[in-house]
Amino acid sequence: MKTLRFSVFALPFVLGGFVCWGFAAETPNPAEAEYYKITTFPTPPGTALEVGAVELLPDGRVALGTRRGEVWIASNVQTASAEGVWDQNSASFVADPSLPATAKIQYTRFAEGQHEILGLAYKDGWLYATNRYEVLRMKDETGAGKATRFETVCDKWGVSGDYHEYSFGSRFDKNGDLWVLACLTGSFSSKTPFRGWALRVKPDGTMVPTCSGVRSPGGVGFDAEGEVYYTDNQGPWHGACTLQHLIPGTFQGHPGGNMWYDMAPNMGPRPVDPNDKSRMVIERERIKELVPPAVYMVYGSGKIGNSSTAVICDMSEGRFGPFAKQLFIPDQSHSNVSRVYLETVNGVKQGVVFPFLKGLRSGPIGARMGVDGKFLVGGSDRGWGAKGGQPFAFERVDWTGKVPFEVHEMHAKPDGFELTFTEPVDPVSAGNLESYSAREFTYIYQEKYGSPEVDDVMPKIEKAEVAKDGKSVRLKFDVLTKGHIHELHLDGVRSASGKPVLHPVAYYTLNEIPTK
Amino acid sequence: MSSTSPVSASFVRATFSCVIAAVALVAGHAQAEEPVQITLKTLTAQMKFDLTDIAVPPGARVKLTFENPDDMPHNVVFCSPGTDVVQLVNKMLEQPELALKNNFLPDDPKVWLKSRLVNPHEKQEIEFTAPTVAGNYPYVCSFPGHAASMQGVLRVLGNGPRLEHLKFALYLGAWKSLPDFTTLTPHRVGDVPDNLIQLNFDDYKNQYALVFTGSLNVPENSEYTFYVASDDGCRIFIDEERVLNADGIHPASIKDSKKKLKKGTHAVRVEYFQADGGAALYVGWKGDKFDTTAWSKWTPPNWKAGVEQKVNEFVGMPLEPKNAPVIYRNFIAGAGNRAIGVGFPSGLNFAWSAEAMNFSMAWRGAFIDTARHWKNRGGGHQPPAGFDVVRPAELAPPFAVLGEANAEWPTFTPDQPPVGYSWKGYSLDKDGIPSFRYTWNGVEVEERIDSTGSFKTGGALVRTLTLKGEIPAKSFLLLSKKAKVASAAGAFAVQAEKLSLVGTNYPNQILIKADGATVVGDSLLVPARSKIQITYTWPEAVGGHSHVAQ
Repeated sequence: MKTLRFSVFALPFVLGGFVCWGFAAETPNPAEAEYYKITTFPTPPGTALEVGAVELLPDGRVALGTRRGEVWIASNVQTASAEGVWDQNSASFVADPSLPATAKIQYTRFAEGQHEILGLAYKDGWLYATNRYEVLRMKDETGAGKATRFETVCDKWGVSGDYHEYSFGSRFDKNGDLWVLACLTGSFSSKTPFRGWALRVKPDGTMVPTCSGVRSPGGVGFDAEGEVYYTDNQGPWHGACTLQHLIPGTFQGHPGGNMWYDMAPNMGPRPVDPNDKSRMVIERERIKELVPPAVYMVYGSGKIGNSSTAVICDMSEGRFGPFAKQLFIPDQSHSNVSRVYLETVNGVKQGVVFPFLKGLRSGPIGARMGVDGKFLVGGSDRGWGAKGGQPFAFERVDWTGKVPFEVHEMHAKPDGFELTFTEPVDPVSAGNLESYSAREFTYIYQEKYGSPEVDDVMPKIEKAEVAKDGKSVRLKFDVLTKGHIHELHLDGVRSASGKPVLHPVAYYTLNEIPTK
Repeated sequence: MSSTSPVSASFVRATFSCVIAAVALVAGHAQAEEPVQITLKTLTAQMKFDLTDIAVPPGARVKLTFENPDDMPHNVVFCSPGTDVVQLVNKMLEQPELALKNNFLPDDPKVWLKSRLVNPHEKQEIEFTAPTVAGNYPYVCSFPGHAASMQGVLRVLGNGPRLEHLKFALYLGAWKSLPDFTTLTPHRVGDVPDNLIQLNFDDYKNQYALVFTGSLNVPENSEYTFYVASDDGCRIFIDEERVLNADGIHPASIKDSKKKLKKGTHAVRVEYFQADGGAALYVGWKGDKFDTTAWSKWTPPNWKAGVEQKVNEFVGMPLEPKNAPVIYRNFIAGAGNRAIGVGFPSGLNFAWSAEAMNFSMAWRGAFIDTARHWKNRGGGHQPPAGFDVVRPAELAPPFAVLGEANAEWPTFTPDQPPVGYSWKGYSLDKDGIPSFRYTWNGVEVEERIDSTGSFKTGGALVRTLTLKGEIPAKSFLLLSKKAKVASAAGAFAVQAEKLSLVGTNYPNQILIKADGATVVGDSLLVPARSKIQITYTWPEAVGGHSHVAQ
């Protein structure tokens, strides 16, 4: 297996791009490691554990679906401490042999031969898997530890043999449905039914076309209320990677698959196509079905990423640190994880993304976090490359128990933003306007691949009011721009104990400006 | 490439997805006026050039057409010999803003020729004069992140002739040294369409031997050096005289020897055997007027004395059923988009289509090469790895109610499930043998396919279909279509229409046995009933002609 050792900036599930990148290989950040520790697991020999999906089983074991179509069941995942070391000869991560077996992850192969698994969900003794063209469920009927029965649940969307036609599957939503995000055929078009759509699969296997406008998804998941989101990737009609809110009946922005409205009477008439070289904020006025991205995962090195994947909500109530109910989004090419806080303004989801953790060893795709706060993530760099440098990996991220000094939440206000912090701020530095800088920009909404950052506005921060308890700061801007990403740097802000903000940058996508 | 160029006497060898371009060297002649025409393309979604090895004569005028059918921008930057192109690009990227301003084209004295940054689906034509100094001039795409895999070498020195009219004979047996082939009968013989010595014909199993025979056009009276690297043993004969001997069980390392040859055509024979473990075979030669030239598809990595014939192709990750059947659901050429390949340890294999809901095709020998799907982004259809591929009927639904004789069988369109059918999945028994399930207008169908015998001796596949429910009157199961069918001792000898998969033609002959089967028009049908058993046996005579020259 070929390993691309240095960073590759072409994108998974996205191709190319035109923005300027930094180029140093990413390594774990020691400052981050004080708060979040990455354990890279050994992997089973003789295969490529290219994790495309991770699911927790009721007995605590973990199911891994892979791009090679295998399902592995891993034990001791939550407790294993043995680090895997990449071994070129066996092309796998091997464990330190001196460690006792209880400290090691153990694997058994449950199934094989499936067509690229990018979704796993467990229910009632069945493991549901999404492959390129179907949701199936599998079960071990003999107790020998291997799946013996494979039942087709839904195979009503198309596949043509094009590499781009990946299909990402969700876990069960609050209604008991599975969601499938069907990647377009290539970047621009849809050659076979419902490529470029979000589909729901009902418990009886019925398929409900649910949202159009999908381009190249990287993952699908839920927020704390069970609302459904997916990540899409920079490309045509996508200036950057995005986190998008999947509201049934909506158009998500890429018109390449909209011919299938003919086969989806539940969706009503086909929406008008967006105008080329426009702006999202303008086209929203023209196209009532169009939902703006909840968050732009700002493109480029040193920013957020180049290929967003899984959508993971922290439901651990503090076991993963101070960010309960926030979203964690890995990036396949940057081998990192970003953190998202969302709010609803004028009925529209929007929010902020912060850098969170870098230094994963391959290109993360599948991920899962249980209520225990163990963040499990795995992936592959195949076809695109990842900063992590290894062809595949399976890893666990643990909170060390120390609270990093970070912006906790960022709320839009009619004249600026309110920031809350994970610990009290130093009122002097946090009240000093010199501690902040801001910029507002957006992307061209266009058929052409990607977009530069355009329409720059340089706002003046007129006031920084620190709350009496030191836990929040109210920033007043002289101008907010609807539809723009508001990039805020907090390099000068210190905690009450004198620490700088661990990740002193925030990118807030201001779809709506609140009235109060 | 121009076919009219008086210089180029050019040839293009199409392998899988890659081409080696070579322009024969015209030594000692003044360069003609016509430029050498080269088309260099990017491979869509593979981060590779289609040509990784371009040879031109020194000082030749070259017209390069750089085409970019990919979805992202690319360029091509030619560097002086010995340049570490990855390092060159990394150095450029140390100043990212300058690099961006320069469209990611390095401003470096090592670069002697560069294209512009060519946007997706665009091309650029560049005319240049090849360096007059012989050597290997690396080229690279310097767009960020592409250099690791988008590389090639412009060789200023031509290739020598390769073998022509290459044939192979495959022998099965366990040897520790090369056997006396005159006493043996080959298991299979055939042509090698690309004239390159290779081991991955269609059988990755151990314990075999190969004899390659071909002719060599020696350009002039001179002494030539021959090279081999083989795992396990090999020998080269020219005009029946042994030139090089590397017999025995060993890993591949380079051996060479020299021999004077007269201008003209000579007969070449290369003998090779594989015991167990690794298998590899490299053969090449070198002359005063041409660089080391491989006669084989494979070249030992890091062997600097030779011309590195780096080819971008998807070869080399065979999936071998060892103790139990292996399932491979993927895009399989000949079996469609929702194919389920099944390989048995016996060396018999088949593909079932969850699109047509039907048995699709069968083959002998190796099961499938996964490299196309598992080493890249996963697109494209991979043909069977084995030989004697048979597809008695093109993809079509299995059952139909025929109102009258010769009624048309329902047609099938990929990705439109046949009307009345529903794919339900499959189960594995304790031996790992799958049974497929689907429904047809309320009839529940289960289909199991067993292997009997071994690919070495012929072998057979036995399909058993169990139908539950109300079977409509006058309904039939399709066994073959558009085929010549002859009765043969209680079975039917089926010669189906020509089967060509990714450039390889197969004889498409099989013996089919099923109780009650009847010929209707150009189809072989069997009436639908609660249990149907069909046996597919390869006629022994068919074995050995998997590769039919185009």
